[in-house]
Amino acid sequence: MRADRFHRCVVVLLSLLLTVPIMATLLYSLSQRWEATILPEGLTLAWYGQLWHDERFQAAFSHSLLICAGSLLLSTLIIVPAAFVVCYRFPRLDRWMNVLILIPFSMPPVVASVGLLELFAAGPLPLVGTPWILLGSYFTIVLPFMYRALADNLRALDIVGLMDAAYLLGASTPRAFLLVILPNLRKGLMASLFLSFSFLLGEFVFANMLVGARYETLQVYLYSLNAGSGHFTSALVMSYFLFTLVLTWLATRLSRSNK
Amino acid sequence: MVADAVSARPRCLRYWRAMLLLVPMLALLALFCLAPMGWVLAHSVQGEHGLSLEHFWVILGSPFYRQAFDNSLRISLYSSVIALLITLFGAVSLRRVDGRLKNAVIALTNMTSNLSGVPLAFAFIILIGTNGALTLLLRQWGWLQDFHLYSRNGLILLYTYFQLPLGLLLLYPALDALDDHWQEAAALLGASHWAYWRHIALPVLAPALLGTFILLLANAMGAYATAFALTSGNFNLVTVRIASLVSGNIDLEPNLAAALSVLLVALLALVAAVNQWLLKRSYHAR
Amino acid sequence: MFYVEIDGLTKRYGASTVFEDIRLGLKQGEFVTLLGPSGCGKSTLLRCLAGLTTADQGRIRVDGQDITTLAPQQRGIGMVFQNYALFPNMTVVENIAFGLKMQKRSAAETAKRVAEVIRLVELAGKEARYPHELSGGQRQRVALARALVVEPRILLLDEPLSALDARIRRNLREQIRDIQRRLGLTTVFVTHDQEEALTLSDRIFVMNQGRIVQEGTAEAVYTQPASEFVARFMGSYNLLSPTEAGRLLGVELKGHLAIRPESIRLCEPGEQYSADLGAPLRAIIRQHQLLGNIIRYQVETEGVSLQVDHLNRAADDLLPVGSEIAVVIDRRQMREVH
Repeated sequence: MRADRFHRCVVVLLSLLLTVPIMATLLYSLSQRWEATILPEGLTLAWYGQLWHDERFQAAFSHSLLICAGSLLLSTLIIVPAAFVVCYRFPRLDRWMNVLILIPFSMPPVVASVGLLELFAAGPLPLVGTPWILLGSYFTIVLPFMYRALADNLRALDIVGLMDAAYLLGASTPRAFLLVILPNLRKGLMASLFLSFSFLLGEFVFANMLVGARYETLQVYLYSLNAGSGHFTSALVMSYFLFTLVLTWLATRLSRSNK
Repeated sequence: MVADAVSARPRCLRYWRAMLLLVPMLALLALFCLAPMGWVLAHSVQGEHGLSLEHFWVILGSPFYRQAFDNSLRISLYSSVIALLITLFGAVSLRRVDGRLKNAVIALTNMTSNLSGVPLAFAFIILIGTNGALTLLLRQWGWLQDFHLYSRNGLILLYTYFQLPLGLLLLYPALDALDDHWQEAAALLGASHWAYWRHIALPVLAPALLGTFILLLANAMGAYATAFALTSGNFNLVTVRIASLVSGNIDLEPNLAAALSVLLVALLALVAAVNQWLLKRSYHAR
Repeated sequence: MFYVEIDGLTKRYGASTVFEDIRLGLKQGEFVTLLGPSGCGKSTLLRCLAGLTTADQGRIRVDGQDITTLAPQQRGIGMVFQNYALFPNMTVVENIAFGLKMQKRSAAETAKRVAEVIRLVELAGKEARYPHELSGGQRQRVALARALVVEPRILLLDEPLSALDARIRRNLREQIRDIQRRLGLTTVFVTHDQEEALTLSDRIFVMNQGRIVQEGTAEAVYTQPASEFVARFMGSYNLLSPTEAGRLLGVELKGHLAIRPESIRLCEPGEQYSADLGAPLRAIIRQHQLLGNIIRYQVETEGVSLQVDHLNRAADDLLPVGSEIAVVIDRRQMREVH
């Protein structure tokens, strides 16, 4: 019994440690003034109102959404067929794919952006400063997660059996893939999409170094505020945080109902 | 013969058509990952007059860059060790509490893993920055010691915070490797709680702990946004140096940045290699 | 005066009672079995004895010393777990030496005693192996050696054979019994297998739903079941309801009638039988099953189905299904149970 209470204490302490910065930011964003008192003074939604009417915020938010959605669309269109082909036609390639997808995973974004900046600054593909370069680099961020999720999902499916059954019923390979395999991948794919969306939304290094103010994303905008008005900034932090919260919540719900 | 050719051609065709579906993925990977990597590698040894290691000598000879490595290593090491200890205690206790609390805390952990980088830095500035709510409060009560968020200790605190969710999510499942009967068997043989952890639980968990530690360390070494946002790039870290050499307003030296990058990645690779070597020596490999 | 005394031990989890008011005593050097179906509380009782679970009420005394509140480390009790619970990061020798290391014995003494016990459980040559490199039977021997090497006052065995296949199980249980006799070790064995209990134990405590329903020697528990539950649990007993017993044997009973299959004799027509066994009953063979040295017949008489065990003397002894025979029930071997 004493041990039980000890473990509860540890867990509660850990949870507090994790929540304190979030709760403080939330309180700060909802208060008119918070100086040298335990609790802030005057609850208000004014900061949120101001934020959501701010044109620069609206622009940054829509840029972020566009880039995230675009990169995820690109990634899905490329990775889903590729994962299927590897698992179905070339299962022996899977080992090599695992090595290959480890490369973007193990390279810090700062290092990657050094090369990206120099390669795409000029020459045949002058992408630096345009959102297009983010599409490509975000693809490399998403690739390891999405490929792994899909490959695990496919391996659990017995795709050879499913495809053979579809062939015998007269389907061509693309039709069999679209009608039989894809619906089975939907939930796993959606879960990995929501998760990827939430961490792409939080991506700062590529966005700031490769594009910066020329196509301002949410994170770059947040950085440019430089914690000027704490209340306004915390309203932005909380808005972003709540948005990703919904996304992760959807992802966990989907991956749980998948089991 | 004819029949063979007819049946062989579609198979060959199918093979190439399937291969074609891999091309966009490999092309994008090559363009946005392998090519930059190649550029970095090639230009790190690109001197003024052809191939040379001059950039590496510059880095190793410069107290400024050595300090950057020193800072990066220390902050990563301390924050990883602290986070590992906290998450180890947390994960052990988490396995012992009832299901509802457990699920709530895991959900919370998932949630807080989103708070990193710029938003994290700002949340901490708001809380314990120079004019942070908590700072003002503590100062008024006269409790404030000499703590500067914008210092190395401040960065260690922030890094620890963003390492916690990752550490917990990695370690918690790994603890399933422990069988509760081991502790009971050890107790009956006279082992105290501590002796059980020292002789059985920690050796069994060693690979998981090491693996988690390596990932935390790599995560911290490669981190840039948090420190950059907290100190506006004024704190000397390897990643901050690399970024300022290619995107700063003055002193653009991409080749030097490439050499720094190579050193950083080599350091991470070395750590991973040591991990592999230790793993091979453990009883798990037998 | 018993060596181990359990007095009024009770354990509850919330509203459900695991066992209640358990009283039992063990003599020094005795091999005692707690026998019962899963969930009867026998394993929890064993864990209370080891100190791994605390009881809500009652006392446990060993050699006159009250150990009820003592930590497992201080009880001097050895235990072999069902899944062996070998430490995976230690070799055979390290596993066995662990208890001595905790007692801070000298290296020389440790080496000597580990070597002895390794010889005792016949593990020579496997000293440097890790648990995952051993077979199930070998792991069990390591677990046994690890418990024995610290010379415990009591040895607890929690279903130690259930994960092994039949041949190794039989072999190992004889060895365990042999070692126990040689060391004169007071041993408590927990099992749900009545055959294991009967072959190993000096005494058996049969448990059901958190109570001890019968105790006695293996012989007594087998031949004189105290209740319908014990009769059913001990295996192949024929249990006749009061009406069936009345129809078949003309006796008036309140409880069930328990008849062991080997106390029924099959008589072929014309065969002589001793008159004091009772009148023969006409029966038809419905099924037969060859169990090695015995044949188990399923016969039907007066609408009652009976199992009859017959010693398998020769292959041509086998009576075909459907043949009519007579059965004689040894009335001295029948028992009324409630």
